[in-house]
Amino acid sequence: MKHSMQVLGGIAVLSLLAAAAPARAATKAPAEIKIGTLYASSGPFAGISMPVYDGLKLWINQQNAAGGVYVGAFHKKIPIKLISYDDLSSTATAATLYNQLITRDKVNLLLSDSGSVLTSPAVPIAKEHKQFLFDVSGSGAAFFTKDNPYIALICLAETAIAPKYLADFLNSDGAKYGLKRIAILYSTNDFTGALAKAFTGFIKSAGKLKIVYDHGVPTSTSSYTVLINTIAATHPDAVVEMGYPGNDIAFLRNLRDVGVKFPFLFTIYSGTEIAELEHAVGAAAMTNVFSYVAGVTYQYKVNFGPTTPGFRAAWDKAYPPGSGAEWGMNALYGYHTGLVLQRVLATTKSLRQLDLRKAIFALSGKLTTLNGTFVLNSEGAQVGEIDPVGQLRPNGKGGLRLDVVYPPRYANAKPIIGKK
Amino acid sequence: MMLEYALLAGAIFGLYFALAGLGLNLVFGVMRIVNLAHGDFMMLGAFSAFWLFRLIHLNPLFSALFVLALFALLGLPLYYLLVPPLLRAKDPEMLSFILFFGFSQAIEALAAIAFGPSERSLPGRLLGRGPIRILGQAFPAAWTWSGIASAAAVLAVYLYLYHSRLGYLTRAVMEDREEALATGIDVHFVSAIAFGLGLALAGIAGVFAPFMLGSATPSMGLGLTLQSFVVIVIGSLGNPLGTVLGGIIYGVSLMFMQTYFSSWASLLPYVLLILILLVRPSGLLGRQVRRA
Amino acid sequence: MLRGVRDSLVVVVPLTAAAALLPFAYSNELLLFNFIVFLVLAQGVNVIYGFTGYLPFGYVGFFGTGAYGFSLAVIHLHLFPLVALGLGAAAAVLLALLLTPLFRLSGAYFAIASFAAAFAVYEVVSNPHLDAITKGPYGISLSQIYNPQLSYGVAVVILAVTLGVTVYLKNSRFGLSLRSIRDDSLSAAMAGVNVVRARTLAWLISALIAGLIGGVFAWYVSVFYPETVFGAEFSVFAIVFALFGGVATVSGPVLGVIFLYGIYNVIGISAPQYFQLIYGLLIMGLVLFLPGGVVPLLRRWGIDVP
Repeated sequence: MKHSMQVLGGIAVLSLLAAAAPARAATKAPAEIKIGTLYASSGPFAGISMPVYDGLKLWINQQNAAGGVYVGAFHKKIPIKLISYDDLSSTATAATLYNQLITRDKVNLLLSDSGSVLTSPAVPIAKEHKQFLFDVSGSGAAFFTKDNPYIALICLAETAIAPKYLADFLNSDGAKYGLKRIAILYSTNDFTGALAKAFTGFIKSAGKLKIVYDHGVPTSTSSYTVLINTIAATHPDAVVEMGYPGNDIAFLRNLRDVGVKFPFLFTIYSGTEIAELEHAVGAAAMTNVFSYVAGVTYQYKVNFGPTTPGFRAAWDKAYPPGSGAEWGMNALYGYHTGLVLQRVLATTKSLRQLDLRKAIFALSGKLTTLNGTFVLNSEGAQVGEIDPVGQLRPNGKGGLRLDVVYPPRYANAKPIIGKK
Repeated sequence: MMLEYALLAGAIFGLYFALAGLGLNLVFGVMRIVNLAHGDFMMLGAFSAFWLFRLIHLNPLFSALFVLALFALLGLPLYYLLVPPLLRAKDPEMLSFILFFGFSQAIEALAAIAFGPSERSLPGRLLGRGPIRILGQAFPAAWTWSGIASAAAVLAVYLYLYHSRLGYLTRAVMEDREEALATGIDVHFVSAIAFGLGLALAGIAGVFAPFMLGSATPSMGLGLTLQSFVVIVIGSLGNPLGTVLGGIIYGVSLMFMQTYFSSWASLLPYVLLILILLVRPSGLLGRQVRRA
Repeated sequence: MLRGVRDSLVVVVPLTAAAALLPFAYSNELLLFNFIVFLVLAQGVNVIYGFTGYLPFGYVGFFGTGAYGFSLAVIHLHLFPLVALGLGAAAAVLLALLLTPLFRLSGAYFAIASFAAAFAVYEVVSNPHLDAITKGPYGISLSQIYNPQLSYGVAVVILAVTLGVTVYLKNSRFGLSLRSIRDDSLSAAMAGVNVVRARTLAWLISALIAGLIGGVFAWYVSVFYPETVFGAEFSVFAIVFALFGGVATVSGPVLGVIFLYGIYNVIGISAPQYFQLIYGLLIMGLVLFLPGGVVPLLRRWGIDVP
């Protein structure tokens, strides 16, 4: 009841805002829907940005091949025009380019580049120009505030709740498997640093496991051998390493090279970017490692768009091997963003920015795609799907598959905990 | 146990850093110019090893020999193209700094266009399987081999400088360029050889970079140049043994920091560099770097 | 004196007026803002490199310190932005004071040491253990004081003042004594110039300029990460812009920014992957064929530029 009052209040405020906004002539259908976004072809964020961009382009090409995207306000399909610029992973460049998209290109829908760092300049600019920001994967907590109605996070859960299942598993089942001492190693960037902070909070407040090691290292760290030795010296039962794919690769390789094994080992990307990590590290070094289960490995029961295998087939057709496009979680994020936009455009009353906001908030809790269920909180942060915990096992063909082990309602296998 | 491990790992890394610094040291010693593209040649060495393995399955130990020859040959024309015009200028040290910065940017951009931005690594098993135990501590086999290769390269440079005719001339140019010129030494030829050798050493260090540093990316160059600079500032100029000392001091302090103050470890090279430059610049470098 | 007035009329007044009026004609205000930032930074580099010969490769350290000093004053002390700006600039000047011993080093060593110092400050600011003070790597959000109009206006004022400083340095006795130190510090000292004092003053002015514009940058963008304000590209761009135009002049850095940052934004939108390559080759070409920059060339052609 209280919740619905808040929603009603929010709607009242928004309608006022919408009424106050200058009314553009929105009755005539535009010749094209302009979607503006940035990507990073080089620099530290290229690895996460390019697959998202490729996934988004795939969706746009599909729509345009079918005669355009259906826009409910005009009861017809309208072709999409993608306006995109390369920010080269530089925030200063990204800032002027976001401004370019809003003020010069006057895009209908503004999408941010991947990750918090490259999303950050867009947040105040979009707010200032009253342009709604479709935040693809910038999960920084600072972006979502009560006074900013011009943002919604589309793809991944806000960092404060994302590690919940992992912590729940260790807190509730850890003792059963003899996991008492835990070591946490993380890369100090906005994303994995905040994840580790939230995770450590969950472990501390439950008080079931003893934290024997909790340190951050620079994201540029590429040699973990000495750190592994230091961690091993604290005799942990469980080790949680939170870093970007490059960190995970280096960590797992170094672990294999020094022959150290921990009973329970978790890394973020061994499950979500299996192909990339298996290529770099080898299946043997990843067997029995725990990881997140994301849409890329788990099939959600969708109510809109293709399932993951269906998307995979379309992806492989659009980007054959050697095309340079990398399949994985971020590819799926790009495509999922497209699906969300498709629903927004189908249901929005007009192309006015606050109507777009209304349309995307109306999807909350009602849309389930290959990326899981889409849920927004009142500040626009994504609180939908929390990734379950999985474990990598040999798939019998020399490769790996990811079994879901927690929470019980998703689980299809029992966890295997190594010996100390 | 943690301390011994940090010390031993630091020593192995130290040898590697000595190799990384040696080429920079040689070029600086002979020509008095700062090769800010040094780390980019290391990057190119790493990518050469990567592609030689990917295309013809060449073992990195052989790639190192190939890179040695290729980069040394590349160095000669590059020297005659870039360095003599600099040496004629008013302030060659400063100008070389800016010129080679531009060169570094151009190399990095070309590499990013050619190889893509993603991280490339080589499987560690190429340099031996499983951990190797030294004094009861387990180290990756690849580290041990990289350490041995680094030691061999340093030794070779030592033999070249102190037991060969060309090496003797090189040291004469290091000592006093004007005087060497006056005694009829072909200073440009000696310098060009030293420049090629400097690039070749960077290339070899680069070949082992995927094993020691984890992976290679086109943008890794500037950071490597800075680290190499720290090493040669700690050691002394024009003396391979000094560079080895610098490398080991740097390697051990780095591993020590990583073990006990991991989040502050990346601060170390910068602080070390500033402190040593301020406290004992001329003593450690063996030449005057202060002015009024 | 007369030359000072002329320089002001030719460069300072029109440039300031353009910066103030262009937003009414051109809607991508952030692009204009970035132009102002680089105009100021290039002149800051000019003050220290052009007039003393010391290349501040880590100039971005002052910019980032200014940005963080400003932001932390707003977050922890709840100061008004204009007051916080003063604190940010003071922090940058303090850093410059701490770094004055670097002047004992000659050319390339100074450049590398200042570069290392900027990295060191970045590593400290972004360290997660200092989360409670600096917000560590998790970034700053100043949405409560966000005010693009006012912060843009303040940036224009800083631009005007900075240009005024270079006009003064070029035409005053103080500037002359600085240049005499650069050309030959020994004879300058013999001629009665207080070498250490003059050089330190130039260094502090240069840091003050970067700290001020860094603070305004933080105010204007309002959401940023440590890597945003400590990005090496700020130093590199500012130095290249200044060198291209020609240092120890008033108009050189301005020409550099307008021409090169202009190209950057044109290429940057159509073919950015070639940008770094073109930049690298441009720097090499400059050193080999045009070590003094464009302005001396123009003067040689008989065009009188300030």
